[in-house]
Amino acid sequence: MQSIIYIFPELFLSLSIMSLLMLGVFVKKSFKLINMLTILSLIFTIALVINQPDEIIKIFNNSYIIDKFSIFMKILTLLFCSFVLILSKDYLKNNNIDKIEYPILILASTLGMLLMISSYDLIVFYLGLELQSLCLYILAAFKRDDERSTESGLKYFVLSALASGLLLYGSSLIYGFTGSTNFEVIAENLDESNTAAIFGIVFIIVGLAFKVSAVPFHMWTPDVYEGSPTSVTSFFALVPKVAALAVFIRFMYVPFINVIDHWQIIIVFLSVASMILGAFAAIGQNNIKRLMAYSSIGHMGYALAGLATGTNAGIQSTIIYLTIYLVMNLGAFGCIFMMKRENVFYENINDLSGLSKNQPLLALSFLIILFSLAGIPPLAGFFAKFYVFMAVIEAKMYALAIIGLLTTVVSAFYYLRVIKIIYFDKPKKPFEKNYDWGLKISLILSSILILIYFIYPSALLDAISAIIIY
Amino acid sequence: MLAHSLFFYFFSAITVFSAIMVTISRNTVNSVFFLILVFVSVSILFIMIGAEFLGMIMLIVYVGAVAVLFLFVVMMLNVTEQITKRVSRKGLINNISIGSIVGVIIFLELLVVIGGWKYKESFTPLSSANFDISNTRALGNILYTDYIHLFQISGMILLVAMIGAITLTFRKRENVKRQSYFKQITREKQSAVSLVDVERGKGVKLDD
Repeated sequence: MQSIIYIFPELFLSLSIMSLLMLGVFVKKSFKLINMLTILSLIFTIALVINQPDEIIKIFNNSYIIDKFSIFMKILTLLFCSFVLILSKDYLKNNNIDKIEYPILILASTLGMLLMISSYDLIVFYLGLELQSLCLYILAAFKRDDERSTESGLKYFVLSALASGLLLYGSSLIYGFTGSTNFEVIAENLDESNTAAIFGIVFIIVGLAFKVSAVPFHMWTPDVYEGSPTSVTSFFALVPKVAALAVFIRFMYVPFINVIDHWQIIIVFLSVASMILGAFAAIGQNNIKRLMAYSSIGHMGYALAGLATGTNAGIQSTIIYLTIYLVMNLGAFGCIFMMKRENVFYENINDLSGLSKNQPLLALSFLIILFSLAGIPPLAGFFAKFYVFMAVIEAKMYALAIIGLLTTVVSAFYYLRVIKIIYFDKPKKPFEKNYDWGLKISLILSSILILIYFIYPSALLDAISAIIIY
Repeated sequence: MLAHSLFFYFFSAITVFSAIMVTISRNTVNSVFFLILVFVSVSILFIMIGAEFLGMIMLIVYVGAVAVLFLFVVMMLNVTEQITKRVSRKGLINNISIGSIVGVIIFLELLVVIGGWKYKESFTPLSSANFDISNTRALGNILYTDYIHLFQISGMILLVAMIGAITLTFRKRENVKRQSYFKQITREKQSAVSLVDVERGKGVKLDD
């Protein structure tokens, strides 16, 4: 009974899901109200998470953990989830998908993510994952009269179900050969000689790599990003990555830490392949959502590079990378939401041409965000890559660092191409300027954070240096 | 003990008989009914070996949901009309040969599994197993204490599945006339009935 105070955030979130659902059913045309209440309940949950105690707490027979790492990741998830909701209000209304189920499903998937982040047991992890992905399938197909949206929903559902199947198979192997689903017991019973369990680790890595969309399990990403409504794409690009990367880190560094020699090479491969594919495949893209998809694949490659090191510094660099990536992507999607003329949202990169003449401020923030995504100093994106490469070099993995640096150069090309189109091409008809206040605030906030990060980097560094996994 | 084995053979015979009838029955609806009979008798067998929870779940899930769904599909698609078409002899032989190969393989696999289990070195029963309580109660004891969080999360997943099914398929229909009880009950004589003096040779004009 005393453990119930440690799951207040999750409890509060589930209760608000149910009460909002009731409210939405009985109050007619209540999307605005529900959306507002959803954002409020997310913010309230952040407060509850911040209030959780500092020490490591394990509840429910050691199957649920609350530590600094999980608290930080939960705050990231909830914060960016509420930002995504704030961003997409206008878009939802214009596309006639402003139904009450939308914020409620987002809330439910956030609950799944919180469970994943805190999971310390294979079953809890799997249930959290399923709760989260089930909501994501529905969200991807949410614009059900649109062919591409339904297609992307179905595609995501089928492929993700396959990945879940592999993950379950791996989990069952690990459970069978270590005798427990608990992460700590698995870590005790897992050693080099336990070949079958190592076999299971490979399957689990495959499942997790699918969730973070690392190459070669990335196939779904561009299609799903392009097909689903932009508001859902922005959600896909931001929030589930946090949870997936958090469980990735937890899995590698708690139950599987003893066999690091076996999994390290797999992660290095995933990381290198994602960086290369993310850099080269994005060059030929015309749709900005597809471009963001490939860019997110590449960025996940850099984040995995930090994870591959096997050191605490490496994990911390991954977490910093993830945080800065989220801020940058929030801004990028803010810009994409602003590409609107007469209530139609545009997605092609060519629609941006000559933006600097018509909307110099929007063009400037787009410039800042794209430069930062490319990793050009002194913007935040540069520091993110810098920390990761420092950690990689400290772990004496020079090849990984060199490939990472080279792909950074390649990926700078396609970001610069967008900037060239914005600044040097012939102007088109200007976009509308009556932006939603939420959109403005998010874009301004993320641009400013990216710009001024270098003045006071220790604000983020101090928070993250307290996170120790093992 | 004799009664027990008598019941066992009785229900096993029904199971085997109806399983065969599922495959050879020409009418698809009859097949589904025999399938339901298979499920029911298997669940009785489960109850006889003391797994009453499994038996009941079998009834609820397979008979209550799966078989009824089959029945719906069969009736909706009108497959019953196809019974007039006789299965050609050649097709029957082909199907039987492939089916029997699969059957033999499954039988061999079962032999391996059962043999391996029989000759296992040491079989240690769970020390914590308590044989005094029924297994529904034992499951409940675990499900509502140690695994309460998992139970609740599963509930959330089902809720999300329900919301998803409704959002993706539910459409508001236009031009559907619905019964409104409140309107019906509150209707009064004055608003519903009017007395009209009918003039000769002109008739009455009715609004609405």
